This record gives sequence, C-alpha cells and structure tokens, in this order.
Amino acid sequence: MNNAAHAIALSKVYGSGDTRVTALDSVDVEIEAGQFTAIMGPSGSGKSTLMHCLAGLDSLTSGQVWIGDTELSQLTDKALTKLRRDSVGFVFQAFNLVPTLSALENITLPIDIAGRKPDQQWVDLVIDTVGLRDRLTHRPSELSGGQQQRVACARALASRPTIVFADEPTGNLDSRSGAEVLGFLRRSVDEFGQTIVMVTHDPNAASYADRVVFLADGRIVDEMHKPTAAAVLERMKAFESARG
Amino acid sequence: MFRAALRSLRQHKLRLVLTLLAVVVGVAFVAGTYIFTDSLKQSFDALFNAPQPDVTVSVDSGFGSSAGGGNSSSGGDQATTLPASTVQSVAGVPGVAAAFGVAAADGALVIGQDGKPIGRTGPPSRGTSWIPDQVISSLRVTSGAPPVGPGQVALLEATARAANVSVGDTVTIETPGGRITPEVVGLVTRGISGSDGGTLAVFDLPTAEKYLLGKPGVTSIAVRAQPGVSQQDLAKRIEKVVPPGSRVQTGAQRSADIADRLQTAFGFINTFLLTFAFIALFVAIFLIFNTFSMLVAQRTREIALLRAVGASRGQIRRSVLAEAAVLGLIAAVLGVLGGIMVSFGLRQLLKMFGADLPAAPLVIQPRTIVVSLVIGVLVTVISAYLPSRRAARVPPVAAMRDEVGLPARDLRVRTLIGIALLALSALAAYLGLHTLDNGTNASRLIGFSALSALIAVIALSPILGKFVVGVLGFPFRRTAVGRLAIENGRRNPRRTAATASALAIGLALMSAIGVIAASTKASVAAVVDDTIGADYLVIGAKFQPFRPEVYNAVKDTPGASAVAYVRQVPISVKDKTSVLSGVQPDLFPLVVNLQMQEGSAALGLGEVIVDDRTATDLGLRVGKPIQATLVNGSTTLVVRGIYKGAGPTIGYFTSIDTLSSVGARELDSAVYVRVAKDSSPDAVKASLTSELAPYPAVVLQDQASLKDQINASFDQVFGFIYALLALAVIVAFLGIVNTLALSVFERRREVGLLRAVGTSRSQIRRMVVLEAVLISIFGAVLGICLGVAYGALLQKVLEPQGITQLAIPFGQIGWFVVLAVVGGLVAALWPAFTASRLDVLKAIASE
Repeated sequence: MNNAAHAIALSKVYGSGDTRVTALDSVDVEIEAGQFTAIMGPSGSGKSTLMHCLAGLDSLTSGQVWIGDTELSQLTDKALTKLRRDSVGFVFQAFNLVPTLSALENITLPIDIAGRKPDQQWVDLVIDTVGLRDRLTHRPSELSGGQQQRVACARALASRPTIVFADEPTGNLDSRSGAEVLGFLRRSVDEFGQTIVMVTHDPNAASYADRVVFLADGRIVDEMHKPTAAAVLERMKAFESARG
Repeated sequence: MFRAALRSLRQHKLRLVLTLLAVVVGVAFVAGTYIFTDSLKQSFDALFNAPQPDVTVSVDSGFGSSAGGGNSSSGGDQATTLPASTVQSVAGVPGVAAAFGVAAADGALVIGQDGKPIGRTGPPSRGTSWIPDQVISSLRVTSGAPPVGPGQVALLEATARAANVSVGDTVTIETPGGRITPEVVGLVTRGISGSDGGTLAVFDLPTAEKYLLGKPGVTSIAVRAQPGVSQQDLAKRIEKVVPPGSRVQTGAQRSADIADRLQTAFGFINTFLLTFAFIALFVAIFLIFNTFSMLVAQRTREIALLRAVGASRGQIRRSVLAEAAVLGLIAAVLGVLGGIMVSFGLRQLLKMFGADLPAAPLVIQPRTIVVSLVIGVLVTVISAYLPSRRAARVPPVAAMRDEVGLPARDLRVRTLIGIALLALSALAAYLGLHTLDNGTNASRLIGFSALSALIAVIALSPILGKFVVGVLGFPFRRTAVGRLAIENGRRNPRRTAATASALAIGLALMSAIGVIAASTKASVAAVVDDTIGADYLVIGAKFQPFRPEVYNAVKDTPGASAVAYVRQVPISVKDKTSVLSGVQPDLFPLVVNLQMQEGSAALGLGEVIVDDRTATDLGLRVGKPIQATLVNGSTTLVVRGIYKGAGPTIGYFTSIDTLSSVGARELDSAVYVRVAKDSSPDAVKASLTSELAPYPAVVLQDQASLKDQINASFDQVFGFIYALLALAVIVAFLGIVNTLALSVFERRREVGLLRAVGTSRSQIRRMVVLEAVLISIFGAVLGICLGVAYGALLQKVLEPQGITQLAIPFGQIGWFVVLAVVGGLVAALWPAFTASRLDVLKAIASE
C-alpha cells in the first residue's frame, strides 16, 4: 500500500535550556492513502503538533516529512503555501470560514486563490454529499455550527487534495452535528477514496476511523485498526493509569 | 483600573503615536497661534521703546498714514510735502530741542551688478533723508559715515549685501528724479525692525529732496523735545504753527499706529491658523474614535474578565477615558512643543515674504500652555467617549465565549439624519444662490450649507461606503484576493467610513481651494483679455512710478499703432480712497477697453469717469460734480460717465491735463503699447526691449506675462493653504495606516486561516493594499465631490468680487485621485507586511 504522507524521525522541540519542551520525540509514522486515520492522545501529547508538522504548517526541529513524493523540510514558504493550497485540505475546530464570503465562495476559496477553474462536477458532488445545496449563498454567520463545519469539510475536499487534515473537527459541535460531520468524512473516504487524518481526543469520533494512532508524551505508543469507541476508550484509560 | 489603562497604552505605542499625530498637529497650531500673537504684542513694546522722534509732523493727505513702511501700490506714492519754512517754524516752538526735515519716498531702486533692481517685486524700495540726531533717528550707522552731499549714499546693510557693494564702492540708483551713481559711504540698520525685505537708500536732506521728491520741501518733520517737556504738550504747541492739513503725532501715537497696523495685517493669520487647527482637530476626532473603538473590540475578552471579577460599568468606562486622557495629555505636550516650532516657522516665513516684523523673543504664556493642554485632552476624551460606553456594555459572559462580536448597530437612524441634513444643505444652498445680491447673507447660507453637507456626508458615509467600495472594487471581483479585499472594506461600514471621512475632509478643502484658485486665474485671464487691448505693457520693476523718459523712448516704436501712458494719484471722495488715473483721452481707448454704461468717455478738463461699483456705493451720477481730495488739496470734478469695472481696472479716470492742473508729479504708472495689425509682435517686442534697455527700473510685459505675474501672487497664497491642508491629508493617511494595522490584528485568525488553506504572503499583502486603496479612493471621491460642488458654489458667491469664471481644475483633481491611490498604497505597506508575516499556527490556534 502507498503512503499519502509519512514522517521519519520527526522531532519538534520548543524553547531551550530550562524551558525546553520536546513536543515530538523522533516520531515515525505512515499515513496510508485512501484511509481514515485518527491521531489520539491526551492533552499535551503532541497530537496537534504532529498534525501541524505533517501538514506543512509548522517547521521541524529534525527529521523528515513527505506529502506524496514531496519532502517538506527543504521547502520555502512559497512552495509550502502552494503545497497546502494544492495538495492539502484543512478542517479546524473553530474559525474555519472566512466571514465575508458566502458558503460557496468559502468552499471554492483554495481553488479561487490558486486562480483555477473549479471542477464543477466534483464541486457539485461534494456539495450534495454534505447536503448544503440550499445554503450556498449564505454567509457563515447565517449558518449553524454543524453547517459551518460541513462547509469547511466541503472546502477541504473541493480541490481534490492528496490528504485532508482535520483538527478536532467536532470539538465545538453538539453530538448530532458532530455525527453528521464524521459521517461525511467517513463517506468521503469510502466513496471518493480520500485520505483523511483527524486529530481528536473523543473515542467516539475516533471510532469512525480505519486506524487510530495513539500518542503520548511526543511518542507513538500504540495503534489500533478497525477501532470501536469502547475499545478506544479502554486503551485511553490504560494510558492514563500508566501515566499515573 | 488606572494602572491597567496605562499598561495598555504602553503596549501599543507606535499605533497610538499615529493616532495622536492629528491632535499634536491641531494643538500645535493653536499653541503656535497664541505664541505668535503674544510675541507680536511683546515686540510692540520694543517698538515703543525704540528711538524715534518725540513729535512728528506730516501732511494729512486724507489717505491714512503717509509715514512708515506701508505698502507701495501702483496707485503711486505721490510724496505730499510741507514747505521747508515749516521746519524753521517748528524749530522755533518753545520746548523743541531740535527739528529736522525728512524727505522720504518709494521708488529709489538700487541697481545690482546685473543691471536689474535688487530685491523682490513685493517689498518697497524706499529712499529717505538722514536725521542727524542719534536720540530720535531710528537708523544706526554700523560702518562708515552718514551721507553728505549729492555724491554720497548710505545703504541698509541687507541692501548693500544684496547689491554686493561695500563702503567706498559706487552704486547706481534709479530715483524719481533720475539716475544717480553716488558713493556708498556708510551702512545702516533699522533700530526697531530687523528686516522688512525691502531696500533702503539714505541721502542727506538736499539730495533726498532733489531726487526723491523732485521738488523742494519735506515729507515730514522729526522733532526732539527738550528734557522735561512732555510729548503731548509739545505736540499741542507745534500744532499752532504748522499749516492747516498737517498732522502732528507724538512718538507714542505713532508707535500705537504702527502696532495697530501690524495687528490688523496679521489678524488674518490668526484666523487662518485657528481654522486649520480646527480642521486638524476635527480629523483627529475621527481617528481617535476609530482607534478606541478597535482597541475596545480587541480587548473585549479582557474587559469581560474585569467585569466578571467585579469591575463596574463605570469603572470600565472610566479606565478607557483615563487612557484617552493620558494620551491626549501626551499629544498636547508634544503639540505645545510643535506650536513653538510653528510660530518660529511662521516668523521665518513672513520674513521671507518681506513682512515688517519687529524682532522679539517668542513669548509662551501660561495661558497658552493651559489652553493647549485642555484642548488636547478634551478632544481625545470626547472622541473616546462613545467607544468607552461600548466597552462598558461588554457582558461579563463574553470572557467565556470564543468568538465575541459586539452587535453591529443599525445604520438607519444615522442614514435618516444624513438625508435630513443633506436636504437642509440643499435648501440653504438654494436660498444662498437666490440671495446673491446680498453678499453676506449668501456666503453665510453657502457656508452653512457646506457644513451641513459635510456632516451629512459623514453620516451617510457608512451606507455610501458599502456601495462605493463595491462599485470601485468591481474590476477586482474576478480574483479571490480582490473579493476578499472588497468584502473587508465593506464588512465594517462605520470603520471604513470614519477612516475615509478623515481623508475626505482634507481633500474636500483642497478641491474647493483648487476650484477657487482655478476660477480666480481664469477670471484674471478673462479680465486681461477683455479689457487690455494693448499687446505690451511697461510697468515699474517694483510697481513704482517712473519718469516720462520711458514713454518718450517707446512712443514712436515702429510697428506700434498706439502707445499710451497712465499716471496715477490717490484720490479720496466722500472719505473713500481710490485711484485717479490720468490718461490721454484720444489714445487710451485704443489700449484699454472700457465698457461705458452711462455717459461718455470723452474726457474734458476737470471731468472724470468712474466704475459702476464705486458709483453705486457713493451714489455718483453722470453730470453731477463731486468734491475730491487729491494730493495737493480739494478739487471739484464732474462725473462724465460710468463704466463697468473689471478686475484691476477700477476707480476714476481723467485726462492727463486735469491731472497736471492739480499738480500731480510727472511720473507714469504704466505705458501701453498696441501692435499695428500688419506688424509682427515679435519685431515690436524686440524694438521695445532695445529701447527700454537704458531703463532698468521698468519691465516689459506681454499679456501672458501679465497674467503670469498676477497669478504668481495668487499661487503663493494658494500654495501656502495647500501646504497646510496637505498636512491634514497626511494625518488622514496615517489614520489609514492605523485602522489597517488594527484591522489586521483583529482579523489575524482569518488571515491565518487564509494562509493555512494556501494563500501566499504576496496575496495577503495584495489583499490589505487593495482594501487600503479602495478606502482611500472612497474618501477621495467623497471629498472631491463635496469640494468641487462647494468650490463652484463659492465661485458664484464671489462673482461680485470679480471671480466671474468657473473653472474646475480636472488635471489637479486627477492628481488628487492619484495621490489617494498612492497614499493608500503607502499607508498599507506596513499593515500588509505585518499581515503577511503573521504566524499561521498562532493565528489559527484556538485560544
């Protein structure tokens, strides 16, 4: 199986001297294409840092990261920006949309910024999949939190990126809206073969993934395939008690 | 709470400095005006204490003060004289220690080594006689000796410097009595005033009489009192021995007169500076309001936290106001320092323009400082009041929420007020235009209309802004960056409006001035075209009258169809002073077109024609006699006709014979030359130039250079106004920098998101720059529309004053728009850079 992204000996250190904090400690990870991968871990485990490094949002202290065949650590800001624009999709926990643009404009934003014509058939398919056809002209302030997050998901998919990163996408949502968003992410993997990496600390959210990678204190400590919410919760509890 | 306010000030130093610049400028002009005025008053004391005659006798010609350094005009400074015998009578009055005749006149042109008169056109070139008495003479010899005899002259130090001569050299001087080349025997300075920009040549009395006055006699008598004799008593005694029509003034009266004249002359500067201070402070209100609104919005969480832990609304409000007060104080202190510079600069500027300002140190009274500080603090606190109330309304729960937006308030009330004011303004303008006959009323109505239109436009600007920014941005809609920039410009209409309004105010004033300036020039050109039929004009290099030799030299110029001269004297009718021009009745109509409205221009002896305005004002009728006061006394003249006055062609005209019969000196003010139809103007010009070569005291002008010369004096005034208004515009651009910087900070998460989804740094920069340019073009459009409209209305109001043509300087206005674009671009550089360098992760990290 080929990788959509992978990291070798990825380390990230903040500060120096007494305030030195190792967020990621020589992490090796592979993200398989066409799979839904969840990164789990308690607060401060480095899961968000790992996602930021994999997505080209943050620089590495040492190690290497690839998205597709592109190695990120040597890229200039310009090249990284282009990579994010063309090959990566993002869904954040909050503040996912530009408030001055309509839902449709938000969805096609990365394509518009690139100055390209959107693939109309594909965009239509994505819009119908997230069920936002009748909300396209609305501003974000006129949409519910769940609808906003679905717009964000549609934006992440609209440019057919190599990989989509979702950072706690259901963190701010009620359970029903959260389930809708997760269901949509699942379908995009199953129906469109999209690669998705999601950072979460919610075992229920993680149960939508094909594979869960567990992170603690900057290291990968375990992983699980075909997870269920109960199994993930058990595993998390085990780490918590191990940490004391 | 106060400490919190201070701390937040320290965090945003640079931005606050930008905000406060407008206050600093405003306060600086207030303080500068005070300092300038106080210093002027102080220098009057110097005037009173300086050496001067205890009593001065001069001829009361009915034309105001004839002594001192008043402005010379083309009306001709006809020296009015006392007989020399009066000096003897005055010297014989008991209590008089000494009496000296003085002969002084304008028109002693010191010729430089290039053969041209030295000094600029404006300030007078005076000549006077030396008073050999150090107690009462205002002149001091600094090197060499006083002049004695026809071959000697003393020059003002500055004059000698300009002419590049020193003691022992000879110098050429063109006088009303002809050209002389005396030796420079001494250099002098004036006791009271440092420099008036004019030149001064000092002769002994007989020489001055001969060359400056052209006839025996004196222009004034300077008297020194014996010790213990009061000026008043002496003046009373002298009054009994001088001929009727003489004026006897004590030294104190003279000083008071000069002080009065100076105060009147400089009064307009005060008005002007205070007006400008008002504009700057008005602009400042917008900028401060904007900054504080944004600071409050930024600090919503912090404020909510303070509220949550128990701070009352009043405390929040007071802390914001305290922050404003401290800022205002800082700005006011800087403003006072700026004021010192302003008054100093003003003094230098006036000196450059040749204003006669007695030298004195700058006076900074406690009142100046108190008023400046109060104004600075008050303006800032008032501007911050609304934002402080908004801050007080932040609910404590906002501390817990992630995204807090204060509810956007409705624009409906504001829009209604704006529309009502606009209607009111239109009504006032309509009424103003229909009461044009009543000048004062009309200008008041138009002024009121302008003010309410300005406020209306400010009130409507949020609504207009949404629309105009959308329209202006239309060409950029195709790109994502363009759409983002346009929407950013429209998302907060109040903020965009306040930012654009600051710019609009400055540009409105500049455009209005631009229209008035262009209209004035067009009107001057029209007057010159309409009235002056002559192709060439010979006038004094310093507008001084010149000897008839000039006319004799050019009157037979080949190719000239008509050559005529004009001789002017002051005239006073019914206590109104004007100019009486003597012309050759047969030649003059060939060179100047006078449009007769009544009667005829066929002038006989003792007959005059007068312009319509003067005739109406004084109730003069054709065929009726008038009693006129001329240089040598009262004369009866008969009004033969009334012509339409136009521009400089106003006043009374009579025949040369009439003028000679009343004893006017033989000095011409202008010679007009008309080129024959079949002759080449260039050939005529060449002949004239060579014929005039021996006369450096006169210059040859054609219609174009005449227009240029008149326009040049307007250009100076308008240039000064532009320079001041430009300052207001620069302050407005700093306001744009400020607003953008705060906007970028407010939207940093959004910028972070854009960066995360692949927007490049240069695209972010372009977005910010485009927003700035759209806002500044919006401001420019608002201001220019308003300015041009009111410039045009003002022209209508000023039509009776001679601004008959409406001209809109499209080129200049085009430059204003370019200026707005460039200014917006430059203003956006720093905020755009900051935005493009935002740390993506920090920006998007949920707090």
